[in-house]
Amino acid sequence: MIGSSRRLGVVAALALFVSGCAAAAQTAPPAAESSESAVPVVQVLPNGLTLIMQDHRAADIVAAYLWVATGVRYETPDGLGYAHFQEHMLFKGTDKFGPGYIDRTVEGQGGRSNAFTSFDYTTFQILVPSDGTRTALGLLDDMAFRSTFDPKEIDAERQVIFEEASIETDNPKSAVLRQLYGLVFSGHPYGRPVLGTPETMNAANQAKLKGFNSQYYTPENMVLVVVGPLGAKAVRAMVDEAFGRHPKTGYVPPPVPPLAPIKGMVRKTVERPEQQAHLALGWQAPSLSNPDSFALDLVATILGGSESARLQKNLRDGERIVSGINMSNSSMKLSGIVYVQAQLEAGDVAKVEQRILDEITRLQQEGPTEEERQLAVTKAESEHAFAYETTDGVASAYGLVQLSGTLDDELRYVERLRGVTREQIRDAARKYLPVTDYARIAFVPGKAK
Amino acid sequence: MTRRSFALTAALILLAPVAASAQSGGVTRTRLPNGLTVLVRENPAAPVVAYSLMVKMGTRTETPDIAGISNLLQQMLVRGTEKLNGEQIAEAADRMGGSIDAYGDADYSEITATALSRNWQEMLELVGDCALRPTLPDGTVQTVRDFLVRQIRNRGDKPFDVASDKMRAALFGSNPYAWDPLGRRESVERLAREALVAYYRRYYVPGQMVLAVVGDVRTAEVIPQIQRIFGAMPAGTVASPAVPAPPAMAATREVAVVAGAQAQILMAALAPALTHPDHPPLKVLTALLGGGMASRFFSELRDQQALAYTTLAQYQARVDTSAFVSILGTAPENVPRAAPALTQQLERIRTQQASAEEVAVARAYVLGSQAMDRRTNARQAWYLAFYEVAGVGYEFLDRYAADVKKVTPADVQRVAQKYLDVLRTVIVQPK
Repeated sequence: MIGSSRRLGVVAALALFVSGCAAAAQTAPPAAESSESAVPVVQVLPNGLTLIMQDHRAADIVAAYLWVATGVRYETPDGLGYAHFQEHMLFKGTDKFGPGYIDRTVEGQGGRSNAFTSFDYTTFQILVPSDGTRTALGLLDDMAFRSTFDPKEIDAERQVIFEEASIETDNPKSAVLRQLYGLVFSGHPYGRPVLGTPETMNAANQAKLKGFNSQYYTPENMVLVVVGPLGAKAVRAMVDEAFGRHPKTGYVPPPVPPLAPIKGMVRKTVERPEQQAHLALGWQAPSLSNPDSFALDLVATILGGSESARLQKNLRDGERIVSGINMSNSSMKLSGIVYVQAQLEAGDVAKVEQRILDEITRLQQEGPTEEERQLAVTKAESEHAFAYETTDGVASAYGLVQLSGTLDDELRYVERLRGVTREQIRDAARKYLPVTDYARIAFVPGKAK
Repeated sequence: MTRRSFALTAALILLAPVAASAQSGGVTRTRLPNGLTVLVRENPAAPVVAYSLMVKMGTRTETPDIAGISNLLQQMLVRGTEKLNGEQIAEAADRMGGSIDAYGDADYSEITATALSRNWQEMLELVGDCALRPTLPDGTVQTVRDFLVRQIRNRGDKPFDVASDKMRAALFGSNPYAWDPLGRRESVERLAREALVAYYRRYYVPGQMVLAVVGDVRTAEVIPQIQRIFGAMPAGTVASPAVPAPPAMAATREVAVVAGAQAQILMAALAPALTHPDHPPLKVLTALLGGGMASRFFSELRDQQALAYTTLAQYQARVDTSAFVSILGTAPENVPRAAPALTQQLERIRTQQASAEEVAVARAYVLGSQAMDRRTNARQAWYLAFYEVAGVGYEFLDRYAADVKKVTPADVQRVAQKYLDVLRTVIVQPK
């Protein structure tokens, strides 16, 4: 998963004098049934907006997440970074209130807001105690439909985004992934920088950002997810009062350029100021709607997705040639990416690349053991169960899958994984991880920045 | 609860010495006869469970020559027991659909574990195994120590870590809060197995330990199992060592160079321990200045003046004298304007009283933070255990929340004048 969050910097900085502060016990009475048995209620408003609701009573906190099906994927070459710029600007004032109002209102309710831009979607997320639900929905509606894009605020926010870009550059773990996406999806929107380029960002103005807003921020292009200790009827009434007032626009998503496969080796080495080296290998992967994505999820888990996976066990704990390593399969709407990322000493880069390929080859030849298959399914089941601990976990899961596949993919995910055989896992490794065609990037210590 | 599990529970209780239990706010507190405190909260929302085993041991129980020993010891606990090696521990946790990890912090050290709740008993066994029967194998000690030394080295690559290490050292002097829980390179390099064994024996005694359990489990089933696994530890307690007081505050300014695109500006002062009556108003002050996106730092320095991307204030709840730290991350060319702007913010809160509305938002932010941070079972277990280890009991949270609700604009100004009149500054920038 790659994207850009409004609060990126704040989250990164929390590592300082971290851990807890103190707290009031504000837990709602648990519902009689466990949330396992609960299912979402999905309704489409007359104006085309999709509303997903789930009753969830672990705490008195409602997650109201607005997902807009726009992101880097729809940007034009001269509009790179506009989806993300748009995301920032929606917090900077509407025709009803000025900048800062949203943060004051949400935090004054004891809540939190966040926003995130990726390739297929932009999401605005508010968490509030349940009596603030109406306020939260009203704010999301105002942000999406009534933002003013004041030129003065645009200029100030542009600087914030440039600063965000330098923070990302400073963090080698995220920078190496970002650059890997560029190699794996060369020439395709999935390979573009979420934060845009200095040229496109400097050219952004009120008319352009307003135009982007009226083109993409339409009810038909929105999914609203509301999860918390509330019934569907009450939620729907509040949504009708806000989002329900906007008319249909007849929005049709624009076409997207086709994706060229990786042929042969694509290699890049970058000199960086850090003493530690970073290595990433990537392949194109199937989209969420392709049934192969389930088997490939298991491939990634078995090779490098858990503490006891093969790469962790052999390269990190056994041979000790990496200090950290992980593998992940990330499915998007049109495609996906499966990658291995490692932190290591600069002298070991070539050896580690070869060892990763060895481990892939071994899985392609022998397939996984039955124990490994079961372990990988348990891991997925567990991630699923832990996501359902919180209302925001559920709202994220539902929104993400609605924007890149179907809700049914999420609800039946574990069940489908259970049905994948060892042979299917082996075959997915053969089909999607050719050791002759992939992208590879390394960050090594050097003077250059 | 089924009749069958009740019968089993009853039988186990008869075998063991009786433990004293009390229930409030959905939490059951039990003191085992050997002194171990157990807290259990049932939460059926998702089929998962979390454990937090905390020990009153951390940088606060360290001296400069053994700085980092608590964290090293914790890391070793999950890398080998009499039954399992480190790899097998990780595999076992994976099989349970969970994880187990351990680390040292300033006031405490924690073994934290989660699992699918159907495996609650197996995970409890594993936590017990790691805590009670670690082998601290010599070769692994070296490997983990080398790994930690590299982590300490890598902190030197990150402008923010460099700035916070320098600030911590300036604020706390010879007090152990002066170093990061990772420790100092010179001390960690020399830590040998014998030192770890002695340290473990001294602090892993039941009177020093708290086990919190939160999740889709039954209290009546969990407590007898904890009694069975941990009840055999011989009773014991140990006084935490006396620690040198931090140096008196002085206005200092330190500038350091670290390659990278961002500059970091930190301005900080000593601040009272969590039991001090000034703790709640200073928490509200911290939220008002740099808590969330409605805070002054974020709205004025970032949103209005575009002088920062990252900017916040922190004041951590500590058993002993803590610190208020304001943080600003920005482009190097902004430093000449950003540093005075941050100073001005810290000045204004002392000279002008904040509005009632602004203080109300900050109070709501502090209270909201707590509710938000306690959404998962793992964080709930952490809170239960931490306040117990800190000696104030988990009920402290309720008293604290009540105190926060009473904080007035005058209180905020008073603590600003009391604690923020003298500040230390650290600036880290590229060249």
